[in-house]
Amino acid sequence: MLQILASRGDLVLLRDSVEWEGRSLLKALIREVALKGEQVQVLGCEVSEEVFREGLDSDTNSRLVYHDIFRDPQGWTGNWGPLGILRACLRGAEPGPCTLAVDSLSWLLLHAPCSALCQTLRALGHDNSHPGRVRVLGLLHEDVHGPGPLGALRSLAQIEVTVGGNLGFTTAQVFHPKPRHRSIEQTYWFSILPNFSLEFHKEPLLEPRPHRGPQSPTVDAMADLTFNVHLSKKEREARDTLALPFHFSSEKQQSLLHPALASSTSQIFYEPDADDYLDQEDPDDDLDI
Amino acid sequence: MESQQGEGGTELDSQSSIWVNTGGNKMAALTTGFGRARQGGAGDPREYKAETAAGGDKLGGGGGGGDRGCSFLRKVSVPGSGGGGGGGGGARLRSIAGTRPSVQNGQLLVSAGLPALDQLLGGGLAVGTLLLIEEDKYNIYSSLIFKYFLAEGIVCGHTLLVASAKEDPGDILQELPEPLHDDNYKKVLDEGRSHKSQEEPEISMKIAWRYQNLPQMEAGPGTSSRFGHYYDVSKRMSQEVIQSAKWHKFFLPEEITSYANVESCALNHGYTKLLHFIQRVISEQGFDGSNPQKKQKNILRIGIQSLGSPLWGDDICCADTPEHMHSLTRFLYVLRGLLRMSLSACIITVPSHLIQNKAVTSRIRNLSDTVVGLESFIGSEKEANSLYKDYHGLIHIHQIPRLNSLICDVSDTKDLAFKLQRKVFTIERLHLPPDLSDTVSRSSKRDLVESAKQLSPGCGMMAGGKEHLDF
Repeated sequence: MLQILASRGDLVLLRDSVEWEGRSLLKALIREVALKGEQVQVLGCEVSEEVFREGLDSDTNSRLVYHDIFRDPQGWTGNWGPLGILRACLRGAEPGPCTLAVDSLSWLLLHAPCSALCQTLRALGHDNSHPGRVRVLGLLHEDVHGPGPLGALRSLAQIEVTVGGNLGFTTAQVFHPKPRHRSIEQTYWFSILPNFSLEFHKEPLLEPRPHRGPQSPTVDAMADLTFNVHLSKKEREARDTLALPFHFSSEKQQSLLHPALASSTSQIFYEPDADDYLDQEDPDDDLDI
Repeated sequence: MESQQGEGGTELDSQSSIWVNTGGNKMAALTTGFGRARQGGAGDPREYKAETAAGGDKLGGGGGGGDRGCSFLRKVSVPGSGGGGGGGGGARLRSIAGTRPSVQNGQLLVSAGLPALDQLLGGGLAVGTLLLIEEDKYNIYSSLIFKYFLAEGIVCGHTLLVASAKEDPGDILQELPEPLHDDNYKKVLDEGRSHKSQEEPEISMKIAWRYQNLPQMEAGPGTSSRFGHYYDVSKRMSQEVIQSAKWHKFFLPEEITSYANVESCALNHGYTKLLHFIQRVISEQGFDGSNPQKKQKNILRIGIQSLGSPLWGDDICCADTPEHMHSLTRFLYVLRGLLRMSLSACIITVPSHLIQNKAVTSRIRNLSDTVVGLESFIGSEKEANSLYKDYHGLIHIHQIPRLNSLICDVSDTKDLAFKLQRKVFTIERLHLPPDLSDTVSRSSKRDLVESAKQLSPGCGMMAGGKEHLDF
């Protein structure tokens, strides 16, 4: 999981759903990044700042730079729309590796055109003042959107993390597509502690699933044959060396060019039966040709 | 009188020169739109035949052009006729580097960078047409084909125009594959084949021995001499070669710097700018014959990456009912008009897996000339299917243009698969593997049958039925 934090890809998409929320994972990742000493810019749209900061320790909180849209969602106090604020997030940041957490992209998708959002995200990732060192962690609620915007953001993202839950543990399926069957796809099982640190577990053993039903015994068709189907080794060799009848080999060519003399091996033996009438006359003599 | 002097004077020679000349004129008329076909060309064979019938044979006599030169006049037309076109233009068109006339209809073709793809498209991409690549899901393999096209342009000495909204075109050019020389390609291909044969030894066919002599899918080097080149994907093209190439770039974020009206997304803005840019390059550099140049004519290769994606400001990929549904189709219409009027070939990649409205997809296909779709197995359930385990994806040729003819050269196999080996991108026919063993369990046989249903009937009905009959 920590490899996500190590990579400097542009956009990491955290997809959650109604069944299992992903904000706690986002906060846990922010905490990991902040513990390394980096500053984290947070754009908060869905929850207020107090709610977001709650649970994080003071060290992390001091490194969070919070840009609040929740206080003023319609932008009545400022001149910029939500995308303007998104772009302004990185302006005051210190130079160096930078992380921007967006909570959430769904809110931005609902309040701005999708193509403009994609262009802004791409421009953020390739910001000139932080060349190649910006990482954007975006939270996306996938059941809010149709396949269009979802597909557009997925094609823009380098890494996708799908948050789910099973058997009391949180799972994160990380997918990083790469060519030639080398795409990384891995599932992590962990639980998020109250202070938003991650505790990883090994994949719990699944209970043995019940059999789908008694399977019919496969009949071995080769069992009780009265003739031999298998070939011994000698027989196999003999079969391999056999010349196929329609292969025009040189021996065949020779035999055709020089027809063998009528060999004495083929003869017809005739024994006349009692009922046979052997007439020496040729019945065709009557014909008048 | 005359001009027999230079050419050795045998009858065969002059006959072949007639053929070549009319071919050249056809090319001039089709691809550039200027220069009419010479009427004199049609007349020559008839004159020639009349002469031989009447006058007996006139063999030899190379130098004595006077005797036989009278009735057969090799018309060397004045290049001034028809605005730069005509016979002189025809001779020059034939010699543009990296092009060749098609054997089917005489069109001028350029290579798409992959000789296997050229073969599937009927010899190559016709000059003045548009190749549309429908991207695979994560845009990995389609960008590779895009780079092959650009690399081929650099190697042949064509001018490039690269437009993108996602990556800087300079970065795209840095990632082009390195061209291989002929002897290197044989080594690379043998390496790929020997790797495969270590897994399954190739059994020579004993019963179906007639099929052993069928031609392989790909042509190796040496069959078409300087037309298609081979590339090594694991290496990058060297800097000197890239810098020696002439190219123009269009990077959308640099062209549109103001985001003042971002909330009301002016969609045509990016497309309009791109069209103006292309038109300016074509007219300034003379690709449409507007300022007649005495120097060598060249081809302009245009590459536009991920057109229609949200990064271009277009919302056909994002919304189910897009507001500006016709901006992309209008763009393609105008672009194709520009292409037809100039010596250029264009490749466009479109993320059509994101387009929700199927009507838009079919409109886009109709507005392009050649359409190739890629479907990769990454992340899909097909990856685990045993039928596809050797390959990385499927390639579908949706459309091939019928240029100046009634039929097009469609390949007979519809099931093609590609794989990206370490150095080489190969396209092969998808074969259903024979089910030889008797002790295969029933469930996996059923999977194979199910997957075989997805193949088109051209692949053979070996596993057609659902029930597997055991005798």
